[in-house]
Amino acid sequence: MAKILIVDDDQDLLDGQGAFLESKGFEVQTAAGMDEGLAKLSAFRPDLILTDLMMEHHDTGFVFCKKARDIPGLERVPILMQTAAPKEIGFTLDSYNAKAREWMKVDEVLIKPVPLEDLVGKIEQYLSR
Amino acid sequence: MDERLRVIVIDDEEGMREGMRRVLERKGFEVDLAENGEAAIARLTESRYDLALVDLKMPGIDGFEVTRYINETAGSHTVAVIVSALATVEAAVEVTQHGAFDFLVKPFTPQDLMQVVERAARQRILIRERETYLTELNSERTLSRQLINSMHEGVIVVNIARKPALMNPKAELFLSVKYSAELSVDQLGLGKGVLEAVDEVLALEPGTEAIRVFREPVGERMLDIIITPYYLGEQNAGAIVLLEDHTEEWKAEQDKNRFISMVAHELKSPLAAILNYINIILTGMFDNQVEKIHEMLARSKIRGEALLDLIRDLLFLNQREAGKVEKSFERMDLKAVLSEQLEFFKVQADRSKVEVALQAPQEPVAVFADRKDLDRIFMNLISNGLKYNREGGSLTVALSVRDHEAWAEVRDTGIGMSPPEMEGLFQEFYRVKNAQTGGIPGTGLGLATVKRMVEEYNGRIKVDSTPGEGSAFTVVLPRASD
Repeated sequence: MAKILIVDDDQDLLDGQGAFLESKGFEVQTAAGMDEGLAKLSAFRPDLILTDLMMEHHDTGFVFCKKARDIPGLERVPILMQTAAPKEIGFTLDSYNAKAREWMKVDEVLIKPVPLEDLVGKIEQYLSR
Repeated sequence: MDERLRVIVIDDEEGMREGMRRVLERKGFEVDLAENGEAAIARLTESRYDLALVDLKMPGIDGFEVTRYINETAGSHTVAVIVSALATVEAAVEVTQHGAFDFLVKPFTPQDLMQVVERAARQRILIRERETYLTELNSERTLSRQLINSMHEGVIVVNIARKPALMNPKAELFLSVKYSAELSVDQLGLGKGVLEAVDEVLALEPGTEAIRVFREPVGERMLDIIITPYYLGEQNAGAIVLLEDHTEEWKAEQDKNRFISMVAHELKSPLAAILNYINIILTGMFDNQVEKIHEMLARSKIRGEALLDLIRDLLFLNQREAGKVEKSFERMDLKAVLSEQLEFFKVQADRSKVEVALQAPQEPVAVFADRKDLDRIFMNLISNGLKYNREGGSLTVALSVRDHEAWAEVRDTGIGMSPPEMEGLFQEFYRVKNAQTGGIPGTGLGLATVKRMVEEYNGRIKVDSTPGEGSAFTVVLPRASD
């Protein structure tokens, strides 16, 4: 059973996606922010991480990714980011330079609301790599 | 030339003086006479002559000395002609070395005289015209320089050797560079693209129309940089670089973009949560767990309502910014306003099992304000005090008077905030996010709006908080004068 960590400051999103992914057979843990997420990672070794972008700060999600990937054993864990930050206003990963993208190390950015079937599809795609 | 030319005839022979006077006056000149060098210098000191006919050989101060005097004092205003019997080339050369314009040989006929005088007169007129032109040119230059110096835009003229030939004070200010003749255009702190455009313009075929426009950050400023060629006749003489300061406008634009992207994010977040719940319910996976479905619907309702609140707050802010909110200022008792607000929240407080209390002086505390503004300010603070409180806690509104100010403190016994959490508390869409606040709906606009409104009344707002113990927000407003 694949293990997934969801990090999001929106409690409803955590509850909803958590319940949904559990019913799909994943072992799910949730965290309401970066610090809680990092604390969870000391004991829980997810096969994939789903994280929000704008939490305490507008780029907390990226900082979380960097710190998570710095944990030995998690260097290669797939990280999917889901964000409500609108790409129409210029938010895309492309708007960051190569160095920043390297630093962020996110595998893919999904725009909220992510349809459930897409979410499962993406998760399975990355888990099967 | 409209005015008559003034001539002084300097000769120690009376016959010569009078003879020349007659001829010249007949030709329309105004004539003065001097019988020797001393008298001539006296005349020349008192008044100004266009022409001087100077006899060379005079007792005392001779013609050379007079001519020298004319050149040293009157300069080009007076054209001197030497009259002498010494008709040699050496003499002519010496005469001009002494500053005379021409040479008339004695004896001479009236025609001889007039020929020389007319030539000298033409010279004088030429000089006059050049003087007028130079004065005009000079004042025109001063004027353009003053105009350039008083411009709001920075102006740099770069010559063909890539050196700034001119920089006005605004250009020096914008680029933080002091002008000096040794400067090169590369030392002005301009970007690579701008320098390339300058070189491109310097290399243009004379007469080609061109304009290059850039928007670039320079130091603390955002500048529009406009480069045009500067042609002098058939030659490319340089480039004119105009610097326009657009910092304010750019900052406002940035703020607006940031605000719009935050609004979009905040509008999408609750919708994402709601749609997520609905999609989960629609999968049918919880069809046999009705409580679970109800729970999701209840949360969706709360998020939907919060979204409505946000839209309402945004519209309110927008109307306020656009000045569309009508205000009616009146003198009112702040104590009464607070008391009514607390009354309004009584039901909600009872439901949350929070004790509310008002502490205030006996006498009224008068402020001059729009009632709706005061209601909104304290409704926000009291509502927060209840929302972030704990069961069995309290919410106290304490009103006091300090000098010319009214202090209204809204104190709760809620979850409190740590110093880092309080940073940015009054910014739009800032919400303290931690495990305890996760389920509490809010628009993130409340405190930002409160702060703006309080400041519109020349008041201020302060916050004091301890995690786990509670927060106190103090609104300080000027009291109405008696």
